[in-house]
Amino acid sequence: MHHNPIFIHQLHHTYADGTQALRSIHLSVPAGERVALVGANGSGKSTLLLHLNGILLPQQGEVVVAEWSVSPNTLKQVRDFVGLVFQNPDDQIFMPTVWEDVTFGPMNQGLRGEALHYRAQRAMAAVSLDPKLYATRNAQNLSGGEKKRVAIAGVLAMQPQVLALDEPTAQLDPRCRRQLIHLLQNLPLTQVIATHDLDLALELCSRTVVLNRGEIVYDGATEGVMGNPAFLETHALESPLSYSRPYCQIEHAPVRSLISL
Amino acid sequence: MILHVGAFHLDVDSQKTSVWRNLAPQTRILCVVLLVFAIALTPNGRWLSWIAYTIGVALLVLLSRVTLLTLLKRIAVELGFVSTVLLGTLFRQGGTVLWHWGWLSITTTGLMVLGSVVWKALLSLLILNTLVMTTPIPHLLQALITLKTPPLLVAILASMYRYISVLVDEAGAMQRAAASRNLLANPRWQRLVVGNTIGALFIRTLDRGERVHQAMLSRGFTGIVPLTEKPKYSRSDRLVLVLTCLLVLLGQGIYLL
Ligand SMILES: Nc1ncnc2c1ncn2[C@@H]1O[C@H](COP(=O)(O)OP(=O)(O)O)[C@@H](O)[C@H]1O
Ligand SMILES: [Mg+2]
Repeated sequence: MHHNPIFIHQLHHTYADGTQALRSIHLSVPAGERVALVGANGSGKSTLLLHLNGILLPQQGEVVVAEWSVSPNTLKQVRDFVGLVFQNPDDQIFMPTVWEDVTFGPMNQGLRGEALHYRAQRAMAAVSLDPKLYATRNAQNLSGGEKKRVAIAGVLAMQPQVLALDEPTAQLDPRCRRQLIHLLQNLPLTQVIATHDLDLALELCSRTVVLNRGEIVYDGATEGVMGNPAFLETHALESPLSYSRPYCQIEHAPVRSLISL
Repeated sequence: MILHVGAFHLDVDSQKTSVWRNLAPQTRILCVVLLVFAIALTPNGRWLSWIAYTIGVALLVLLSRVTLLTLLKRIAVELGFVSTVLLGTLFRQGGTVLWHWGWLSITTTGLMVLGSVVWKALLSLLILNTLVMTTPIPHLLQALITLKTPPLLVAILASMYRYISVLVDEAGAMQRAAASRNLLANPRWQRLVVGNTIGALFIRTLDRGERVHQAMLSRGFTGIVPLTEKPKYSRSDRLVLVLTCLLVLLGQGIYLL
């Protein structure tokens, strides 16, 4: 595994209509870390993730993924290295059956036959989809949670070293959300999770990066920002529910340091 | 295909099994193409050839065990479009005049040509629809590649197919959104809304197509449809191909004897 899989320096992005989506972003993610990328709607989370995968190329500044600087010549390596799970599984799942969709990525990598079969089975097992039950199912007719898992399996099947997820819990019910958190907790990959679900960030990520209008306004320990409602308020975010709930016993509170304040 | 956008489940019957469906997709394509060519190239008025082909097509439809009702519905829609074009042939000159009104006259030649062409169209539509209903589109595309169709052409067909399904998805979603807010109030208003819907549909499909394309790129898509293993030809494939060729020859041969 590469020691510093993601390094972003002075990245700017302006969309064709003049919207400044990213402004002097500087970010470095060490291997194995799970980073939450939080921010209100329109703060530039998706735009940043699209850069990690080379869907958008840097207009100014630099994005380095492992040893490759993202540019048209390194797209193949970059896309094999970073797997991107899109916000809406309907945009991502496009092959008719689950099996065909999960094998789409590895086939683009040139895998065939036995090796392909093994990869797809491993990926489906990782998201607890039984290949026997799901392989031939029509991908359009699955429930939201199942679609999400198929989308993640399709990316895992490419065996990336970094997993970037765009609002992974956005359309999930509480139970699916719980399963997904559990799944992500057990994946031994570097993860960048864009979300406005702060409870998720608190539960999964030790480090949080807060974006506001395309700028990084905080980068540090997750607890450090969650316990600061005034700061969250100014950046259009809500404190996580687990902080507003009353606790009967002090040791049930999620973060001790806060209570002792 | 495009005519069925409203009910976009082309391969409704592809899950059943039958003799026809056990054939490799490329065999099915070859049989269908052979038959369609033979039917289309038979000169007008050769009724005996068509009797032979009709028997062949009927056999094929029975063997494939498609849902007849769906098949007939589709044919009816398509024939409706085709016949408006064909009506012109009815008023052709030549032969004895059977009936006339002003400068319009119906002659024996006209009738003969119209009958032949309609019959040709009907038979061709029958087998083409049977093929599409029994074979999933991805299999058809794969079969085209095995049959040495230029990959670029197949890639274009494939993206057309995906784009249509995106379009249908979006159209369905918008239809539901409108219906859930009681669109059916009055016809004039409805027409207006439908107009707007079509415009919005266009934009939304473009956006969504763009996002789907991005998602494909992020999984390493380079513009070529990846292929799984090719299905193998078996003995029954060869047998069916030979039988089709014989039928085609027989149909053409009747008039040479
Ligand atoms: N294709 C686009 N064209 C123009 N502006 C866009 C486009 N995509 C996003 N934006 C704008 O860029 C900003 C950041 O968007 P986005 O990265 O999607 O935010 P987030 O994912 O955090 O909600 C928003 O102001 C949004 O309106
Ligand atoms: Mg977003």
